[in-house]
Amino acid sequence: MVKEYNIVITGVGGQGILTAANLLGWAALHAGYKVRVGEVHGMSQRFGSVIAYVRFGEDVYGAMVPEGKADVILAFEPVEALRYINYLKEGGLVIANSNPIPPVQVSMGLATYPSMEEIKKIIEEDFKGKLITLDAEKLALEAGNVITTNVVLIGALTQTPGFPLSAEHVKEVIRLSVPKKAVDINMKAFELGVKAAKELLGL
Amino acid sequence: MAKVTDIVLWDKPGERVLLLGNHAIARGALEANIAVFAAYPGTPSSELTDTMAAVAEKAGVYMEYSTNEKVAFETALSAAWSGLRAMTAMKHVGLNVAADTFLSAVGMGVEGGFVIMVADDPSMWSSQNEQDTRVYAKFAQVPVLEPSSPHEAKEMTKYAFELSEKFKHMVILRTTTRISHARGDVVLGELPEEIKQAKRKFGDFKKDPSRFVDVPSNARRFHPIILEKIEKIREELAECPFNWIEGKEDAKVGIIAPGLAYSYVKEALAWLGVDDVKILKLGTPFPVPYKLLEKFFDGLERVLIVEELEPVVEEQVKVWAFDNGIRIPIHGKDYVPRVYEMTTRRAVTAIAKFLGLETPVNFESIDEKYKKVSAIVPPRPPSLCPACPHRNTFYAIKKAAGPNAIFPSDIGCYTLGLLPPLKTVDTTVAMGASIGVAHGLDVALNGVPGEKETKEKKIIVATIGDSTFFHTGLPALANAIYNRSNVVIVVMDNLVTAMTGDQPNPGTGDTPHGPGKRILIEDVAKAMGADFVEVVDPYDIKATYEVMKKAIETEGVSVVVARRICALHRVGEMRRRGEKWPIYTVNEEKCTGCKICINAYGCPAIYWDAEKKKAQVNPLICWGCGGCAQVCPFGAFEVMKEGE
Ligand SMILES: Cc1ncc(C[n+]2csc(CCOP(=O)(O)OP(=O)(O)O)c2C)c(N)n1
Repeated sequence: MVKEYNIVITGVGGQGILTAANLLGWAALHAGYKVRVGEVHGMSQRFGSVIAYVRFGEDVYGAMVPEGKADVILAFEPVEALRYINYLKEGGLVIANSNPIPPVQVSMGLATYPSMEEIKKIIEEDFKGKLITLDAEKLALEAGNVITTNVVLIGALTQTPGFPLSAEHVKEVIRLSVPKKAVDINMKAFELGVKAAKELLGL
Repeated sequence: MAKVTDIVLWDKPGERVLLLGNHAIARGALEANIAVFAAYPGTPSSELTDTMAAVAEKAGVYMEYSTNEKVAFETALSAAWSGLRAMTAMKHVGLNVAADTFLSAVGMGVEGGFVIMVADDPSMWSSQNEQDTRVYAKFAQVPVLEPSSPHEAKEMTKYAFELSEKFKHMVILRTTTRISHARGDVVLGELPEEIKQAKRKFGDFKKDPSRFVDVPSNARRFHPIILEKIEKIREELAECPFNWIEGKEDAKVGIIAPGLAYSYVKEALAWLGVDDVKILKLGTPFPVPYKLLEKFFDGLERVLIVEELEPVVEEQVKVWAFDNGIRIPIHGKDYVPRVYEMTTRRAVTAIAKFLGLETPVNFESIDEKYKKVSAIVPPRPPSLCPACPHRNTFYAIKKAAGPNAIFPSDIGCYTLGLLPPLKTVDTTVAMGASIGVAHGLDVALNGVPGEKETKEKKIIVATIGDSTFFHTGLPALANAIYNRSNVVIVVMDNLVTAMTGDQPNPGTGDTPHGPGKRILIEDVAKAMGADFVEVVDPYDIKATYEVMKKAIETEGVSVVVARRICALHRVGEMRRRGEKWPIYTVNEEKCTGCKICINAYGCPAIYWDAEKKKAQVNPLICWGCGGCAQVCPFGAFEVMKEGE
């Protein structure tokens, strides 16, 4: 049993971040852990930047992961990985979806979107983390529906070195949670995420 | 991952489940055999209210979405007077709305347990101010329970009903965002037979004007009764199962941790590897039980109080210590900030400093490195959804009223009209305030009709949501009409209470128990005597613009009802029914790159392709309203697919 494991999930409101956090929370609960999932509802869910926390272990207390304590950051959008990079512990992993969603301010010319190189450089050089990126929407479409993007990303997450829950266990929780007619595509999406992460991590 | 609305009714005592704090409280209320629940939604309390609405019929509980917190409070209070267990729930500022009834009714006491759930929002994730309900509790002399975890929130809910009944006194259950919106492992308890059999419970109101009529001669008796009761409750709370002393018994250093701060303190101590301290875990920040303080302070040389927001516990502890001749150092707000929410970082930093230790992580160096990130990460504030009717309404108002008009607005999704490019929100204060502010500005800037007018009239157009209109807009509208205001009031009627998660209101007419009676906003405005009343569909931008023009030209109070269902609600329903909607795309031949769609309209589904110098539509989030096609002067937006 791991003493404490900390996941930070980030992205844009509407991308299914809270669903992903809830699924991981249940998976940890079913594995016998104490669990906390931290969320913010309301205003920020309207296409704004969103962060959720999933923590589990022998003992967990508050619902928020403190700065410098996240074992892994799962980002549904690249710049949202960078926005919350202060949560990552040194040597932690960042798994990011590679599809940018440009904020309205960027389209209006009031702000600029950093390049992938810049994002990678800060994550790896300044914050001593490791970044892998995958085109989760593409894999979700390959699985059968873009709605499964979050399941692709959860599949990838389970390949994080030292991840305390087995991929099979997480997959089973997803299988039991999605509507019957959507089981197959979700299972496929999960597997595609696993495969992509394995390749990226050289496993 | 079963559905929450099923889980809260599971007859499986002992089962471990993952529940949001708000869901856990709903389960606690059901385990406590609640009879009546009435509330007005408000983040972060709403999931409690919505869960009660979803299970009401199945559990035999009367549940209503009241029109505002004061009415909800009165509904639940009267049930408690009648011997039933009753609850109301609200966000922190909701208690301001209910405050008149709340503070007046304390001394009357209750018969059935009465629990007021108030959810505070430190750091203001979804709120207009940061207020600490525990201060209200002290003001009103009402005990307040504050959980440290979702499971404890459930257990405390049951205890709150018992405490309320034992002392015939109302009780506050206070959460914060990080309890209400935190999921945690919760162990289910027994459900009462009446809940399982969906048996509706009825009360009995025993007339007693000496108690239920607060004329001065009666009210004068209440105050001493209240003070006597709260001291008895203070004694009782020394035995409360949510208050305890733990840690090293003969420690020299003590830490007092009320509510959720206890969790942060526990994590901080584990992270620091410190175990030679004594902890007073307080589930009742008001009134602090003195008997426990006596035990806790025994042998201590220094004490730190780790408390979120106001020094409510700190002040009680310091007064008690002073009165009892205890002169050891007691610290609190000099170590823990008084503003914004508590975090593990804050707790660990305060405790490390207090004990002369290093923090386990160098937070300053993280902050230093993060400066580089802040400099390049583009902001991503929340925005109105794609296809949101409010966007079209704002667009039309701005066009019709011109750049010099003033736009008082209100609290709801439409507050986001503040952001560029719409920028059609000049003021928001509290719910319902748009109409009062509009009227006040009219008085201040234009004067009332008949008065000598010296300058050009300022156009004032207020915007208010449908739910907010019924909440506190009604008295303000009556006032504006009565006092002959010259303003336009646009009711943005998206047929739901959207911001807080899609609840019904009088304008929709649905209730958790089936159809209620629908009230039409235009009927209300006409009955009150508004000078101009018209209903318009904001998906027709031109028609909306024309109605706005007419409304502005009319002398007196004009009420425009801009009615179109919330896009998020509609898309949800359509998805459930397997229906499709049109998806727009940009015809690059026709797009001139003028950016009106981005710089004036601002739908999140439209973005700028800097290389092509053309607008583009993200098909994944286009919800098919066609507003873009109406604002584009070149007809560049076309339907790509009739539904996807
Ligand atoms: C006194 C008070 N109660 C509750 C809230 C929470 N709240 C914020 S906006 C809102 C309702 C918004 O509904 P509506 O006016 O219909 O606008 P919409 O969000 O649907 O556009 C509520 C209940 C609040 N801010 N203040």
